[in-house]
Amino acid sequence: MILVAYEPGHWESASEAVKQEYFAAHHAFEEYVDAHGRRISSAPLAGADTATTIRHVDGAATVTDGPFVESVEQVGGYYDIELPDLDSAIAAGCLLPSSYAVELRPAVTIEGYESM
Amino acid sequence: MTETAGAVLEGVVREEWGRLTSLLLAQYRRLDLVEDALGDAVEAAARRWPSSGPPDKPAAWLLTTARRRVLDRVRAESMAHRKAALLVTDASQRQEGLGAMADPGDLVEDDLLRLVLMCTHPALAPEAASALALRLVLGVSTHDIARLFLVTEPTVAARITRAKKKIVTAGIPFAVPAADVLPQRLETVAQTAYLAFTAGYAPGSGSDLLRADLAGEAIRLVRVVVALCPGEPAPVALLALMLLQHSRRDARVGDDGRLILLADQDRRRWRRDGIDEALARLTDPVLMRPVSPLAASYIVQARIAAEHATAASPEETRWDRIVGQYDLLLRLVPSPSIRLARAVAVAEASGPESGLVALDGIEIPGSHRVAAVRAELLFRYGDIAAAKAAYDDAIAVCRNDTERAHLLERQKALPRVSPP
Repeated sequence: MILVAYEPGHWESASEAVKQEYFAAHHAFEEYVDAHGRRISSAPLAGADTATTIRHVDGAATVTDGPFVESVEQVGGYYDIELPDLDSAIAAGCLLPSSYAVELRPAVTIEGYESM
Repeated sequence: MTETAGAVLEGVVREEWGRLTSLLLAQYRRLDLVEDALGDAVEAAARRWPSSGPPDKPAAWLLTTARRRVLDRVRAESMAHRKAALLVTDASQRQEGLGAMADPGDLVEDDLLRLVLMCTHPALAPEAASALALRLVLGVSTHDIARLFLVTEPTVAARITRAKKKIVTAGIPFAVPAADVLPQRLETVAQTAYLAFTAGYAPGSGSDLLRADLAGEAIRLVRVVVALCPGEPAPVALLALMLLQHSRRDARVGDDGRLILLADQDRRRWRRDGIDEALARLTDPVLMRPVSPLAASYIVQARIAAEHATAASPEETRWDRIVGQYDLLLRLVPSPSIRLARAVAVAEASGPESGLVALDGIEIPGSHRVAAVRAELLFRYGDIAAAKAAYDDAIAVCRNDTERAHLLERQKALPRVSPP
């Protein structure tokens, strides 16, 4: 799983030329993944100011406004991909726009759990 | 007989541990089993070799025994229908290349390089990577690694366990990366080794004041890398730097267990063999072509150490050349510690007044070193009252007992301030 973090407002204020650079970077990333593994799913996410967080406090579900971690960088999207090893995931992640912080997390299977 | 068997075992463990580990990992891809299996094999050898005599090929004996241990465990798991996570390898690429490589020795060396690169992957925390490399490549015990880094043995064990888990779960490969990435990865190896080396020279306490013998293990790690990749400048330059620093190990601590400063060290106790090798390494052609900033910083630091190593006495030190090297180093690594070292060199080259000017504005939060140098230079300049006050500043922030004792002693030795 590749989580992409960005600084809010960056995209909205970007010029058309800059946006084209972002698209090109994502295309380069996708080409790399297709050549070395496969893409499973992906999505850009709406801003963290639209996020809602659920937490169970004292047995009751409480709903609060905002993301679960408040920080300068916010998760802005994800790619669920399959690549042979961390080195190829790093090579792929390096192709994404340089303004992003990119977090690579392995997905695991939970023993005994079967999805409905 | 017993002694011979023990010496043979010690030698083979010291020389072959990394190769054996890498062979077992390449074959079984079980990072969770290999270290224990090899440890069991060494234990079995320690029991059997004294009576049976050491085998003709001790390394092969250990490998066969360790293989049996791994297979026993794998069989037990398959009976219990458990499936363990395997290390990611570039085995498929290797299979293709197998026919092309005539000398099977190359394959073994490649496995050792794979092991070194896996242990020092930049996705691992530097302390964990250092510990893992010392353990898996060189077979250094967790006890000794703990002593080196001044942490407890369970801390080291936990770091190694966590690192192994991350390698397997995150898919850090047991592989040699693409040629364009390799130089950068070897720089990470160098940084990892240097971290372990400097840990050995970070002041501890009591009999562990300096753990120079363990710092020597970091040199062994760099030697492994230099032997595997002789054309890479960073490891060669780092080896020269470490050898020069390490050559002073016998002269750095007095009989009373106190640190001895460079100028006061008995230069006859510096190890000539280390100095000679380092000076030869510094003329290696791989260092003559344009190199990365990291390699350049190692070269310049080694040249500074070489100026000291080749001066017959402190008075004969070419401080003017050392100041010039520090100017170069500051362009590569603009850090307050290097500015401080440069100020000391300036004071030696051009007198305490110039040194105090060079010292102006340097701040190293939490460290007593700037104040300690200022105190010494003020003393030499003749401002005893200001020197005494600067020692007060230094003593107030010094956190190391040995060094604080040294500062108190220097302060006490100051001449009395004559009444106005």
